[in-house]
Formats: sequence, C-alpha cells, structure tokens
Amino acid sequence: MPIEAPKAHLYHSIKLEAASTKLGHGGRKSTNSALNLVAYIDMMTMLVIFLLMSFSASGEILFVQKNITLPDAQNWSDLERAPVIGVTKDVVTLDGRQVATGEDLMKDSATGDMKITELHDELVTAKNNYKLLHPSEDFKGVCIIQSDKVVEFKMLRKVMFSAAAAGYQNVNFAVRPKAKGGAAAPAAE
Amino acid sequence: MSVSVESGNKSGKKSLNADLNLVPYIDLLTCMVAFLLITAVWTQLARLQAQQKGQGQAGEETPPELQVKIVVLVNQEGFNLVVGQDQTPLPKKGSDYDFERLAAELKKAKESHPDKNDAQVASEDTIKFETLVRTMDTALQARFPDISLIDSGAAGI
Repeated sequence: MPIEAPKAHLYHSIKLEAASTKLGHGGRKSTNSALNLVAYIDMMTMLVIFLLMSFSASGEILFVQKNITLPDAQNWSDLERAPVIGVTKDVVTLDGRQVATGEDLMKDSATGDMKITELHDELVTAKNNYKLLHPSEDFKGVCIIQSDKVVEFKMLRKVMFSAAAAGYQNVNFAVRPKAKGGAAAPAAE
Repeated sequence: MSVSVESGNKSGKKSLNADLNLVPYIDLLTCMVAFLLITAVWTQLARLQAQQKGQGQAGEETPPELQVKIVVLVNQEGFNLVVGQDQTPLPKKGSDYDFERLAAELKKAKESHPDKNDAQVASEDTIKFETLVRTMDTALQARFPDISLIDSGAAGI
C-alpha cells in the first residue's frame, strides 16, 4: 500500500456536521506533530541502569534445577566454574546427565564400596579433559554439589566419596545467598 | 523534541528552536537493553566451600596427636562439640537444632584457640543437607574458614 501525505479527505467521511466543522480545517493545519520522547527515554534509561546493576560478568554458572531447593547461607562466596553434580532424592546428575538414582545410593553396598562408578568415571574424564585443555594450570580439584536441602548425608557421602576418588577433593556446596542481617539477599548484586 | 533557547529579542524573526536528534541515543539504549536482558543473571547463587579431609589425612603437617581438633558432630539428638579432649553436648531445642548455642560455643573455642582455622563437621547418615549447611555456616561465622565435612565414623570420636 503506498504511503500518501495526509489529506483532509478523512473528515469528509464523518457524518457528524459539528465534528466535521470543528476538525476539518481543509488541510490548512500542518500535519507534522512532535512526538514527546521524554517519557520513553526516561523509561529506557531506568531499565538500562537496573539491568547494568544486575549484570554479572561471569554469567550464569548454575541453573536452578527442577526439584532442587537450595539451603540458605550467610557466609558464602562467589561461584566459580566447575563440574556441577546435582543431587535430589531421586536422581544424581553430572552437568545435567543422570549418573545414578537415589534408590541406588540409599542402598547399602554388600562390599561397603561407596563409589558411584558412572559418576567417578565421568569426573575422571572431566579432569583429564581439563588437564589437556589447560596444560599450564594446576588442577584445583573443585566441583560444585547442587543438592536439595532435604537430601540425607548418606547420599551426599557417596557423591563426595566418588568425587574425592576422582580427584575432586574440594567440594563447593551451592547455596542461596542470604544477607548478614538474616533477610534473603536480593536476586542481583 | 526541540530545545528552546530564549533570545530575549521578541522581534527577532529567526526562531532559535533547534531539534535534537535523539535517534542514535534511542538506538543505543535499545541495543543495551536487549544485550543486558539476554545476559542478565536472574538467579544469584553462591557457594560454601568444604573439604573432605579427615583426621591425619594429606594436608595436615602437624602430627594428629599434637593438634587440637575442633569437631562438630551432628546427630539426631543435636550437636556434640569436641574441642581437643573436651566434649560439649548441645541437645536439640524441641525439634530444632540449637544453632545459637553452637555459635556461642564455637566463638568460645575460637577465643581459646585463635590460631585454629580449621573445623570438622561430622555427620550421621540421616542428617539432612540443610542442617549440615547451617552447621557449616555457623562454623564459618565463628571464623573457622577451613571447614571439612566428614562422616561421623571418620571423626575418630
């Protein structure tokens, strides 16, 4: 549809005579009108400031997994990139892939072996990959355990044992940061 | 949008109104909003660091018998704080663990051993993760930055 300059013909179609008289100026009035952009720019500026405040250069290291409610902690530190082991009552995952079920972990092994074979093997692979990709850096042996708050230590013990056996001695537990005063910390910092 | 500058000369013929071109500014803001919305981190999570170091394992330079060991044993009855040879049972308050008393006792232990930075949290199998995190958090609050989480059997109590 072609774009045409506005003309007065619009008002000829209006049947109301009074309105026609009042509004129809026969094309004498300029059709240019200044758009007030002050409110729009104000809103955009506020939005940019808010988003800049919640900006994190490290990006999203952990995604909140379904069925996992993290506990709160006051004396926390910032997360760093490491393999993420998710533990719920039903399943254990490593970087999103299932490596064991909760039922298996709650069973007592006949041999007393606490190692979760699949988790251990995948962590060893991850460790070897890290060493190959970062030959000049020391391997810190850090992994993140993102566990649901109702999970029992029996499950965690097996996960931690498997991680330690694979060379991941330093365990970071994912928590929800809480302000020192006791109130939950804001979503962004 | 226009900028109006008073000339003071009412009879001046030339208008001093000038249009400010805001299009590049709006473009910049729009790009920034889009970029920041994509990269925004909505769920801020943090970490509690713990080690898996039991008694006499690698990383301990002093022989175990010369060390003053600080262990918080968590069991179904409550806490049992072990500082060297002294044991202080801290039973539950009703159905809840007495974290306030544990904090006070750990603070006392820190005052009597100011050089001590490590503490062990030893847990029984049935203890929930939330309780362990609160216990470790309490120990960190009492200025024991090196926390180990171990099995109660490995604590050697």
